[in-house]
Amino acid sequence: MAERLANRLKDRRSELGLTQAELAERVGVTRKTVNTVENGVFTPSATLAIKLAAALELSIEQLFWIER
Amino acid sequence: MTERSITERAEFLSRRRARMLPFLAVIFLSQQATYFSTPDRSPHSADHVKIAAWLVLSAVLVAAMATKGFWLQPKEIRDLIDDENTRANRLDAMRWGFLFTMAAGVAVYFLTMFEPISAREAVHVTTSAGIVSALVRWGVLEKRAHRDG
Repeated sequence: MAERLANRLKDRRSELGLTQAELAERVGVTRKTVNTVENGVFTPSATLAIKLAAALELSIEQLFWIER
Repeated sequence: MTERSITERAEFLSRRRARMLPFLAVIFLSQQATYFSTPDRSPHSADHVKIAAWLVLSAVLVAAMATKGFWLQPKEIRDLIDDENTRANRLDAMRWGFLFTMAAGVAVYFLTMFEPISAREAVHVTTSAGIVSALVRWGVLEKRAHRDG
């Protein structure tokens, strides 16, 4: 069965009142990368996932999970 | 340059590249059309200017795909533009380029059983197939990545 990495990036970002560009700036990537991770188009590396979780003040498990 | 202006500049350049990639593929393809529409392409009659133009453009495009590109921009902007998603797209485009080069190589090899093709033409076709396919693939991936979802 296909597995995919789901996330609550958009919800959490909205909760904190951040735009994609602001979040991108915090983690040192372009807005495009945040956009693709948010939409599930791109699976981030462990490094980027950790940076995103830290920027959004969540643990990785709270931010990402595997959906079957 | 401030942090804000670096990210804004990187975003602007990244979007512009996404728009330019399909155009570059079309320009490159049209250059091949003029080369192959020349009736006599024997080694002695070959237009050296056309060949040199193709070689230079091919080398520049391959170098742009193999490196971060934007060679005239400051390092921090180049690093930011070539972030994780861009690297993944770039590598996927190069994978497509490799596959299309191989497919073109097989097709040219097959064609030589029916019609003689010079080594120069064979290299021209296979290289061009690889570059065009990689450019198109990269353009599609970059446009998709920029699209708000």
